[in-house]
Amino acid sequence: MLSTLQSMQAVHNGTPHLLRLGRLFSETVLLRIDGDEFYLTFEKGKLLGIAEGPSRKTPYRFAFVTDAEALWEFWQARPAPGFHDIFGIVKMGRGRIDGDILALVKNLRFFKEFMALARQGSRGA
Amino acid sequence: MSIEPITGRYVTVDVGGSPRRIYFEEAGEGRPVLCLHTAGADTRQWRHLMNDAEITAAHRLIAFDMPWHGKSLPPEGFQTEEYLLTTEVYIETVLAVVEGLELHRPILAGCSMGGRIALQLAALHAEAFSGFIAIEASDFQPAWYDIDWFHRPDAHGGEMGAALVSANISPYAPEAERWNTLWMFMMSGPGVFRGDLGFYTRDESLIGRLGQIDTAETPVHFLVGAYDLTCTPEDAKRTADQIPGATLAVMDELGHFPMSEHPEGFQPFFVDALARMGSA
Repeated sequence: MLSTLQSMQAVHNGTPHLLRLGRLFSETVLLRIDGDEFYLTFEKGKLLGIAEGPSRKTPYRFAFVTDAEALWEFWQARPAPGFHDIFGIVKMGRGRIDGDILALVKNLRFFKEFMALARQGSRGA
Repeated sequence: MSIEPITGRYVTVDVGGSPRRIYFEEAGEGRPVLCLHTAGADTRQWRHLMNDAEITAAHRLIAFDMPWHGKSLPPEGFQTEEYLLTTEVYIETVLAVVEGLELHRPILAGCSMGGRIALQLAALHAEAFSGFIAIEASDFQPAWYDIDWFHRPDAHGGEMGAALVSANISPYAPEAERWNTLWMFMMSGPGVFRGDLGFYTRDESLIGRLGQIDTAETPVHFLVGAYDLTCTPEDAKRTADQIPGATLAVMDELGHFPMSEHPEGFQPFFVDALARMGSA
C-alpha cells in the first residue's frame, strides 16, 4: 500500500490542477487501511510526506477508514456500483470518515481526485 | 456551424399568490412531455433528449427551470427569504406551468426530486397528466449527508454540491457529460441546492399516498441507475412495489442524472418509457 500511495504522491505533486484545487489545504489526513495507518501531510495542496503509523500522537484533520479490497475495487477503471466513490464505500459500510468531515467536504473534489489517482487508466495507475 | 432545434421563452405564472417568471425550453411536435430537472440544476439536463430527432418526431418535449434555478428568477423579496422547497409549492408550480403553457394532459417525466413530485402528482392530480416517467425516484430516503454543508458563508456551496453529487455519476458516463452535469451544480444559486434537498430529504408525505396512484388511468414507469447512491435501485423498487401496475427498469451503466451524464446510454430507456405511456 505504501508504494501505491507514494506513486499517487508523485503524480499528485506533478498535477497543476490538483495543486490549484488544494491551494488552501494544509492539513494531515489519515488513511487507515486494514488497520494500517498512513498519515498524509499536505501543504498548500502539495503532498509533502506519507508517514506510516501506528501513531497515537499524530494529529489529523480527518480520516478515511476502509479495507484494501474495497480500495482495490475503487481503483478499477470502472468500479462496480458503490465502489465507484469514497462515499459509496462508506454508504455500503465498507468505510468510515472520522474527524472533521466538514474540512473534507470543503475540499471534497480535491480529496476525491487525489484518492482516484491509482485508478486503472488514470495518470496515477 | 449548427443551430439546435431547442427554443427558449418565458412564461409568468402565479404561485402562492405572487408572480413567477419561469424560463422554459421546448423542441419537437406531438404528444407533450413535461420534463422536470433534479435538485440544484436546470433544464439543461434535458437538452440531449430535446435534440434527439427520434424522440421529437412524435413528442413535444418541454422543460422549465423551477423558480430560483437556471434562468427563472427567485420571487420578489428573495433576499430576505430562506429558500426551502415544499411539496405544496412544487405541486402548485408544476400545475401552474401546465396551465400557463396550455398543455393538455402531458406525460410528466421527472428526475430525482422531479421524480418524487411526479409521483406526488400521480397520487393527487393524475387528471392533469396522461402518464408518469419517474426517474431516480422513490417514496423517501433521508439524507446520508448534512444539507447545511451546501449553504455557508465560508465555502462555495456549488462546488461542494458538485463534489458530493459526483458520487452519483456512473463511471460509464462520458467525461465531457460528467463535467457538463456537474457544472450545473457548481453554478446553482446560493442555498438553492440546500433548499431543494430540504424537500427531498425531509418530506415523507408521499409514503402514505402511493396507494392512491391508479396506473390503469395513468401509467407509471420507473427508471433507475445502478450507480445512483442517492436513490438506489432498491429504493426505486421498494417504491414501485407499492404501486400496483407500475413498471421499472434498472439501467446498469447509469447513475442519478442519466439524461445528462450519459445521453446515449439513457436514450433507449426513455424511448421505451414513452412507449409505455399508453395513448394521450
